[in-house]
Amino acid sequence: MSLQNSTVRFLLNNTPFEVDLSNHADFQPTTTILNFLRSRHGYKGVKEGCAEGDCGACTVVVAVPDGHKKLKYRAINSCLVFLPWLHGKQLITVESLARGQNLHPVQQLLVDHYGSQCGFCTPGIVMSLFELFKSRQEPTRDNAIRALSGNLCRCTGYQPILEVAIKTLESNHEDHFSENEKMVLDSLLSIQNQSLSIKSGKQTYLKPSGLKEALQLRFSRPDAVIASGATDIAVRQSKKFEFLPEILDISGIDELKFFTEDDDGWTIGSGMPIEDLWQLSVDKIPMFDEVFRVFASHQIRNLATLGGNIASASPIGDTLPVLMALNAAVELENIKGRRTLPVEQFITAYRQTAMLLDEIIRSVYIPKPPANSLFRFYKVSKRKELDISTVSLAAMLDLSKENKINKVILTYGGMADRPARALKTEKWLSGKLWTPEIVKEASLLLASDFSPISDARSGKEARNIFARNLLMKLFVETNEIAVNNG
Amino acid sequence: MDKLAENSSDWLKHESAFSHVTGQAVFIDDIAEPSGILYGQVVFSPVASGRILRLDCEQARKTPGVHAIISSKDIPGENQMGPVIHDEPCLADSELSFIGQAVCLIAAETPEAGRKASSQIIFETESYEPVLDIRTAIAKKSFFGPERVILRGDPEKMFENCQNVIQGELETGAQEHWYLETHASLCIPGENDEMTVFSSSQHPSETQAVVAEVLGISRNLVTVDVKRMGGAFGGKETQANHIAAWAALLAKATNRPVKIRFTRDEDQKYTGKRHPFLGKYKAGFDDNGKLLATIIHLFSDGGAATDLSWAILERALFHVDNAYYIPNILVTGQVCRTNLPSNTAFRGFGGPQGMAVTEYILDTIARKLGKDPTEVRHLNFYSSGECAYTHYGKEVVNNRLPLIYEKIMVSSDYLARRKKIDDFNRQHEFIKKGIALTPVKFGISFTTSFLNQAGALVHIYQDGTVNVNHGGTEMGQGLHTKMKHIASKEFGISANYVRIEATSTGKVPNTSATAASSGSDLNGMAISIAINKLKERLALVASDVLNETTGFKIEPVSLHFVNNQVIWKENPDISISFKSLIKTAYLKQVSLSATGYYRTPGIHWDREKGRGNPFYYFAFGMAVSEVELDVLTGYTHLTRTDIINDVGNSLNPEIDLGQVRGGFIQGLGWITTEDIKHDNKGNLLNYSPDTYKIPVIADIPEVFNVELLETEPNPGTIHGSKAVGEPPFMLSLSAWMAIRDAVSAVAGPGREIKLGIPATNEKIQLCLEELKSENKNTQK
Repeated sequence: MSLQNSTVRFLLNNTPFEVDLSNHADFQPTTTILNFLRSRHGYKGVKEGCAEGDCGACTVVVAVPDGHKKLKYRAINSCLVFLPWLHGKQLITVESLARGQNLHPVQQLLVDHYGSQCGFCTPGIVMSLFELFKSRQEPTRDNAIRALSGNLCRCTGYQPILEVAIKTLESNHEDHFSENEKMVLDSLLSIQNQSLSIKSGKQTYLKPSGLKEALQLRFSRPDAVIASGATDIAVRQSKKFEFLPEILDISGIDELKFFTEDDDGWTIGSGMPIEDLWQLSVDKIPMFDEVFRVFASHQIRNLATLGGNIASASPIGDTLPVLMALNAAVELENIKGRRTLPVEQFITAYRQTAMLLDEIIRSVYIPKPPANSLFRFYKVSKRKELDISTVSLAAMLDLSKENKINKVILTYGGMADRPARALKTEKWLSGKLWTPEIVKEASLLLASDFSPISDARSGKEARNIFARNLLMKLFVETNEIAVNNG
Repeated sequence: MDKLAENSSDWLKHESAFSHVTGQAVFIDDIAEPSGILYGQVVFSPVASGRILRLDCEQARKTPGVHAIISSKDIPGENQMGPVIHDEPCLADSELSFIGQAVCLIAAETPEAGRKASSQIIFETESYEPVLDIRTAIAKKSFFGPERVILRGDPEKMFENCQNVIQGELETGAQEHWYLETHASLCIPGENDEMTVFSSSQHPSETQAVVAEVLGISRNLVTVDVKRMGGAFGGKETQANHIAAWAALLAKATNRPVKIRFTRDEDQKYTGKRHPFLGKYKAGFDDNGKLLATIIHLFSDGGAATDLSWAILERALFHVDNAYYIPNILVTGQVCRTNLPSNTAFRGFGGPQGMAVTEYILDTIARKLGKDPTEVRHLNFYSSGECAYTHYGKEVVNNRLPLIYEKIMVSSDYLARRKKIDDFNRQHEFIKKGIALTPVKFGISFTTSFLNQAGALVHIYQDGTVNVNHGGTEMGQGLHTKMKHIASKEFGISANYVRIEATSTGKVPNTSATAASSGSDLNGMAISIAINKLKERLALVASDVLNETTGFKIEPVSLHFVNNQVIWKENPDISISFKSLIKTAYLKQVSLSATGYYRTPGIHWDREKGRGNPFYYFAFGMAVSEVELDVLTGYTHLTRTDIINDVGNSLNPEIDLGQVRGGFIQGLGWITTEDIKHDNKGNLLNYSPDTYKIPVIADIPEVFNVELLETEPNPGTIHGSKAVGEPPFMLSLSAWMAIRDAVSAVAGPGREIKLGIPATNEKIQLCLEELKSENKNTQK
């Protein structure tokens, strides 16, 4: 297989677009979609509000084939996505929604409801609404809020936008994109999912289309930064202006996008975007619904992958405490083979993992928990949505009929240099009765497990209090169940 | 059929809505870039307090693509950009007084080249111990001074006769504006020293003045153009001048167009915020909770330069009473000088910080007396006679407080919910609810009296279309929509005939900032005055034409401009279309262009005596908010908010409702999640939306009932309307008080809730812990 292709092919709205990024005069492989669009005449609708995926002003929608019959539309932060990611996709910008003076239904609704004031966030909001329009979800307040959780507006107080979002869900979902869908689909399917290998000045960008090839590249280029959803990596480029010499983009590998279930557990491909995983796992895996509900924003969930969240090994990463409490394991792969490590052992220090320089994360395995075990996930953050946790707790609790603690796992985020279990507290609790007095005493023991730091998010004193209180919260909520069941 | 003449009886949509939703709306960074454009990069001081020891740009100058690097010695004009007091160097000379102070400027062919050059500059500094907060400033007597004072009666003496006296302190925090569009300016040099400045500025005339001053040229050479801003909220009232001045200096130095656009991080780190305040209070009251005397000392954190700090402090002094009559009152105010970026205007302009103190006092009084705080608030409302006079001697006329109170108590079902919440709280240990009502009385006018003036320039073209220029700027608030409405109503023509031009200093000179909620009041009047001049001229023409064609004797004053026509009031069948009238007027050599000028009557303020009439009128509003508090995480969320806001006769109800909702939610951010922290060197820690949290869509109240008060027109204003920009911000104090109410349900009766602003979940949690440990101690 040839790896010399440096031309990214996609649809820019309805027009096929090709750009050879090899030593291109204007664009690098790490040029973001945002900067690409804004550098072109006629595409300045998209806005930069923060360049880190926290405001949604740069929201665009991409359409990708969902099987061979239809398209799937995803709202994403264009400031967090590099150009090669677009290969084989349709990029839909705000300019393409209206036809002449005829506004798209979501645009007309915004106008009619006075949903724009200063107008700077509006193109992003329009695009989030457009994806919502295409999503055909139930017209509930919750669905509307979820779709717009990644769009900041400082003027309107959101009420008219929320009304528009609910009306969007109530509409018939037909627009000129529906008419063109077949044509777009054919056009996209004609673009081969080929590998890209781009050299531009001192930068090398590799985007393999298969796992085997990815492993080869990983082996030969151990220093390359691995990008999957790239929501973390891209910030280094988009706002920290860091030069990334070598990038291995594994977002195009379909073999890493899977979710399977057997009698013993679930296996999740590392390339599964969080949003897809959420939909597939919602009634199955404990705590996933709770954690994904407060995981970044819809746009970021559309990009970010489970593998990426694990590999970044952040002490405040949302999924890690949950995976640890679920006793999950990470499956690593290199050209020689695969190995499996418990998540707990995978994270070795602050943002450090046990992944070797020739390995990538293939999947995550979650064993089915014993019946009757209780799970809870809590996240304390300044703002409930689109915020990073101050402290989080993912807990597994196995109580006997006599209300005795058979087993408890308490995994905290934000309390140490990595997500960590409160081992001393767990041990002390083990075998004791699950009563308020015991829990109160146990919560004081947390101080022997953790000594958190103060930072921009929170002070250490508050972190200690939150950690204790989350344990109490676990008691209060599980005790209600125990009481109700008893 | 004339398409423009289609008349719609509906209210106008936002004048830019179509452009907004299609992405066509042009902001500074969207302007098609002129050829030869360079990008400006500002090099900032890395120390909060210190001195430049060495600044060597030689190596940086060699960076490919760099066209100029300039420092203070290269400024052709005055090295100053202080808007009121000239205490703000454009580029630091030697002394460094905050992190983010501009030291030198780079113009380069790409932003990357500019950043690269910036990293090549050799910059050595000596640093001193910075002053970073109000308390340190007070201890070091680091003030801008002299102190401002307003006194009525003799509070000290009154305290001796009071049944109850409390005292304490309240801190309210800074707030980042977080307009979506960061500061930006594009400057294009012309011939003979001319400079065209595109700026995201609320105050084009001042931007013009500052640019002229730093360039050392006269103001008539500088034209500032503001099409729209992507939000401003006060943050672009003075501080847009800086970016424009820097870009202009680079444009001058290179003789090329130069654009500067702040990244979000730069914008958050290096521009001013809402002033943090410290209030020290003492209050005396009777057993019913009636306030008899207060002494309040306010200290604001002005940052490193004066900027608008004095006007902001004064507004805080004027609003410390909020809606309450306080017979004996002393308020003093002082602006602290610290080593932070100069704090600046922000919606409410000191009003929220002043009001918060008295709201805190009343809440504390109610809890001490075991009364519902709403009852205590109501008892203290301004009423009639002596009790209608503010502490600075202005009478509260057309007081809408009693009317709004009566309505909102019913519409919010306050009493029943109060009882329900109390019951809920008795039954729940880990979730508590709270409810609160707070009023707003907000003075409308610039308190610097001479600023209350505005101009307009109205053109009619031969096809009957109208171009309106006025001094106000559009930042999303819908000013242009309202102005368009006014122009169309005054002319009696369809709004489609009217276009509002980008604000330009070349069209309307010497304007005041679009601020103090005054945009519609001032500019609406100026437009109306200009249009009435034109109508007088046109009526003469029309009467001539109609007299000639009909043989009647029609007086110009008996003509009426309506429905795209000019009709004779006595016989509406006798008319001439607006369009043909314009054509005729042109042929008859009548001027179709006029200016309008308006100044608010009767405004004066004697700073020495602390007496006067600083406001034309008051705007009123009231809110009832209910919150739910998770006692274990400190997390709060609004379950319901009811608002009734008084806007007189609305110029556009949906635009006004948008201002009310938007102001309230912005206030909610200040009250709850927007927390600003610095390290001990003066670096801002929360400098991006990653750690600085403004409200998102999930944060709005689950039930959000907002209505405009139906009442009589406001006398003496354009179409009987009232200002709406700022007052609703302060309705968010209801959320603060509701949070305190929920915390109080944990604390138990009679306890003081020491919870300031912002009430973040962390601060709530720490407050709860303190209350719990105090509870334990008392039990022992």
